[in-house]
Parts: sequence; structure tokens; C-alpha cells
Amino acid sequence: MASSRDDFIIAIRSAFLKKSTKQKFSLLTLVFLSIFIVVLSGINFTPINKVKSFLNEMVYRSSFIVSIPENLIVNTFIEIRKYSSFYNEYKDNKKELEILKSKDVSSKIIISENNELKNLIEDYTLSSNKILAKVIVDHKSPFLKTIIINKGSSEGLKIGTNIYDKNYLVGRVIELNYKSSRVLLLSDFNSSVPISITPGNIQAIVIGNGDNSGKINYIKDNLIDEIQDRSIAYTSGTGSIFKSGIPVGRVNNTGNNFYINFYSDFEQLKYVFVEIEGEKSTGNQSNQIEEQSIINSASDTEKIKLDLLNDQIKILNETNQEFIEENQTLKSKSNQLTNKISELQKELGIKEEKIKQNISDKKELEFLRLNLIYSSKCQRTSFRKGYKVGTPEYKKCILNRGMRVND
Amino acid sequence: MIKFAKNNFLYKIYTWLPLIILYISVLNEFDLNYLDIDYFSFNFPFILIFYFALKEYNKFDYLLVFFAGLINDTVVGLPLGMSSLSYILVCIFASYLRNITIRPHLIKDWFYFLFVISFINSINYSTLFLFFSYDLNILFYIINNLFTFLFYVPISIFLNYYHKAIND
Repeated sequence: MASSRDDFIIAIRSAFLKKSTKQKFSLLTLVFLSIFIVVLSGINFTPINKVKSFLNEMVYRSSFIVSIPENLIVNTFIEIRKYSSFYNEYKDNKKELEILKSKDVSSKIIISENNELKNLIEDYTLSSNKILAKVIVDHKSPFLKTIIINKGSSEGLKIGTNIYDKNYLVGRVIELNYKSSRVLLLSDFNSSVPISITPGNIQAIVIGNGDNSGKINYIKDNLIDEIQDRSIAYTSGTGSIFKSGIPVGRVNNTGNNFYINFYSDFEQLKYVFVEIEGEKSTGNQSNQIEEQSIINSASDTEKIKLDLLNDQIKILNETNQEFIEENQTLKSKSNQLTNKISELQKELGIKEEKIKQNISDKKELEFLRLNLIYSSKCQRTSFRKGYKVGTPEYKKCILNRGMRVND
Repeated sequence: MIKFAKNNFLYKIYTWLPLIILYISVLNEFDLNYLDIDYFSFNFPFILIFYFALKEYNKFDYLLVFFAGLINDTVVGLPLGMSSLSYILVCIFASYLRNITIRPHLIKDWFYFLFVISFINSINYSTLFLFFSYDLNILFYIINNLFTFLFYVPISIFLNYYHKAIND
């Protein structure tokens, strides 16, 4: 018993303290060092944060380089798959583009009106500038849904900066370095976004579920019955974490729970847009300048509106022209079809006549057949009272199979 | 079999291969997750570290394993030192098993490995949840644990060939 305990203690001591050949530190030292670093990073100790920031810069670049071969293989596979459905996608995209073009005009009008109204109700406006950033590390970890982008504090990013894929929200910056930053995606468990759901303007919070969707939680005033399937969710701006009015996704009703299917596919992110914000204060300007700026902005807005209306007229004319062309094509098709109908009607008349002829021929044949059998019964002879051959009474008698009319 | 001259550069690379692969795997977070299988992932560094610590491979420097942990924390976004602690704990458990075992057996190692990774993942999950307020799905940890356990035997059989070649 004592010897087995000794063995155990020797093994433990050896595991913790013995430095094997070429080992510079014992494992116990390294354990304490790890715990020390964990504790310091837990209390946000400044030197540790600086070391972490330095490590981040180095490691993100190294990770990007190391991931190149794997990314190359995966991307090649995706490209090959894309080419196989290239033509169908092209057709769908063309249709979608036409629809979006017409929608774009109306949205531009709304944006200019929105800006005008904001100028009227606020003494400052936020000027935002979107810059393109490359996703340098995206390991699609099942634990934490984050990506690393190649823009950092040197480009004006801050903790909480909103990140977009096209116009859709994908996440916000949670860790900032000089030339890189970490973005927490909306699909992460730690992400929560205040949203508005239309129709109904229902306020809720969407929390990531580790997939490409998020669960709707904390619905205000228990308005759960009013949420419709396929409703649109956009950021409400509550809490000032995200800007308001950014499209997030569509509502998906699974029966018991409501989920948001995000517009953006987080697995396919290669480039994202980073919104750099700056405040433009107009509160301390003199009245004259203010009036002048209002006049200028109003005239600018009018000009923009006029331009947009001209664009809309242009698009409408183009659409009209397309309709006229389509109308002409349809007319010619209709004429062709009328001609075809008249030809078919003629053919039908000829066939009907043929059918009538056929029926009369059949009747005549039947009469001749019966005539051969019953002519002796119906014919008038010197011994029998009958009918004269060729008279309607004779024909009637034959068709009645020899029975005379008077019988 | 290919034989290298001991001073050859390629031979040196070959001897350092476990650490090179460890660093590539932590930088690339190698876990075949691009297969798009739901919940599928496994912890390759755990298998590699456990195997080579168990074999007491002299090029497998614990300090470098510690640094690999720091890199992993940076890539994954965990608090600095978490993965280092996990990796060093794997080394300690492997070292203990090596010292206590007279006749090593793959199946015994395998089940001991299951205990080790379950214990370390529990520490990881608890620390992140309790002290750092991370919201994590425990299901991912359980499945990761299971696949890491399942992959241990095929990977260790493969690594046996490497180890044998180095000793020859």
C-alpha cells in the first residue's frame, strides 16, 4: 500500500517537476505562468493587453499566410461548384437587377427626404463613410463566431464599429488593434441586437444561435401573436450599439419559436464594409450661415430630387417602350392566331359536310339492303295490294321491314 | 524507407515536424470544419501534444507548446493563457501516465486520453462561463470531446510510423 502511494507521489513529482532532456522549464512553472497570464488578462492588466495586441498583429498575419493553401483548395472547390450553376444564376441576377434598378430610384428619394428631415429635427448629423476591409482570418470555429479584418484603429475604427456585408449588418468590432480588428458576428451566442420587425414595428432582441440565424427574444409587450412569417427585421438603434434602420434578416416561424434568417451568409465573407463615423456639429454656427446652409441644402435637395425624378421618368419611358414593343409582339401573335382559327373553322366545315354525306350514304345503303329482302312484300302486283316502286310510301314500307303504312 | 543523413536540413525539418504541425494547426485551427457537418469539430493539438508528451519526444519543447497555446488563444479569441494552460495540463497528464506505466498499451492510453480531454474541456468551459461570462454551447464541447477521443487511435497509429522512423 505504502509503496503504491510512493509510486504515485514519485510519478506526480516527476510529471510536474522533472525537466526532461532539452526542456528549459518544468511543467509546474508553465502551469503557474499560464494561470498568471489568465488572471492578468481577466482583470485587463495593461501590459498583458499590449502583449496581446502585439501578438494579435503578428498572429493574424501569420494565420492568414498559413491558411492560404487550405483556403485555395476550398475556394477552388466553391468556384467549380459556382460555374456549374453559372447560367441560371446569371438569368436570375438579370431579373433581380431590373427590379432593383427601379427600387433604387425610390430609395434614393427616401434617403434625400430622410436627410432633409434629419437636418430639420437635429442640431447635428452623423457623417458616415464606409471603407472596404478584407477578412484575413475566418476559421469558422464552432465555439466563437468571429472574423478578423485588416482594418484597425489606424483607419479610425473603434470598439463597437458596425460591420456590413453590402448593406446588411454582419456584426461589430469587439477587439481593436492598430492594423487589424476582431468582429463578433451576429450569429455568435454572445451577440444580441435590438431589432424592429415590420409590419407592426415590433421591438425585440435577436440573439445568435451559432448558426446562420438568430433567435428572437425579449419581445416588447408580448406582441408575439402579431409577428408574421417572412417579416423583415432591421436594427432599431436602441442602446446605440447599432445604427437604426440597417436590414438584418427575415423572420422564420418554426411553430414554437421565431428565428431571424440573416440576409448575409457569414460563411462566405471575403470583404466587408466598415462604417467610420464622425460628428458634424452645426449648433454654434451663426444664423446667416445657418440660413444660407439651409437654403443651399434645400436647393441641393431639390436638385437631387429633380435629378432623381428625371431618372425615374427615364426609367418609366424605357419601361413604356418595352411595354409597347411587347404589345406589338402580342398583336402580331394574336393576328396569327386569328388566321389559324379561321383556317381551322374552314377545315371543320368541310369535315362536317363529309360526315353528313357519310350518314346519308349509310341510310341509302341500309334502304338498299332492306329493299333486297322486303321488296316482294311492299311492291304492288296484280295479286297483292302494295305500293308503287319509288314512292315515299314504298320507301317507308321497306324501312318498316315490309309492314305497310296502313298496317 | 527513406533515410536521411543526420546533418541534412531535411532531416532537421523532419525531426521538428510535430512542432511545425502543431503551430500550423493552431494558426489554421485545423479541425476539418469546412466539411460543413453540423457540430463536427475535433481538437487536433490535444491529440498531437498528448501523443508526443507520452512518448517523451525530445524535440517537443513544453515552452514551445506553451507559446502554441498563446497563439491559439489569439486566433480563437479566448482570454490569453487559456489554451496554454490546457496544453500544459495535457502534457502533465501524459507525463504522469508515462511515469506510472510500465507496459504501455494503446487502448489504456486511449481511455486515459478521454478522461484528460473531458477534464480539461470542463475546466475550460467552467472558466470561460463563470469568470469571463462567455456564452458557449456545451453541446459543441461534448461533440468536440467525442470526436477528439475517436480520432486519437487512427492519428496515433499514423504517428507511430513517424516515431518509429525517427528512432531508427
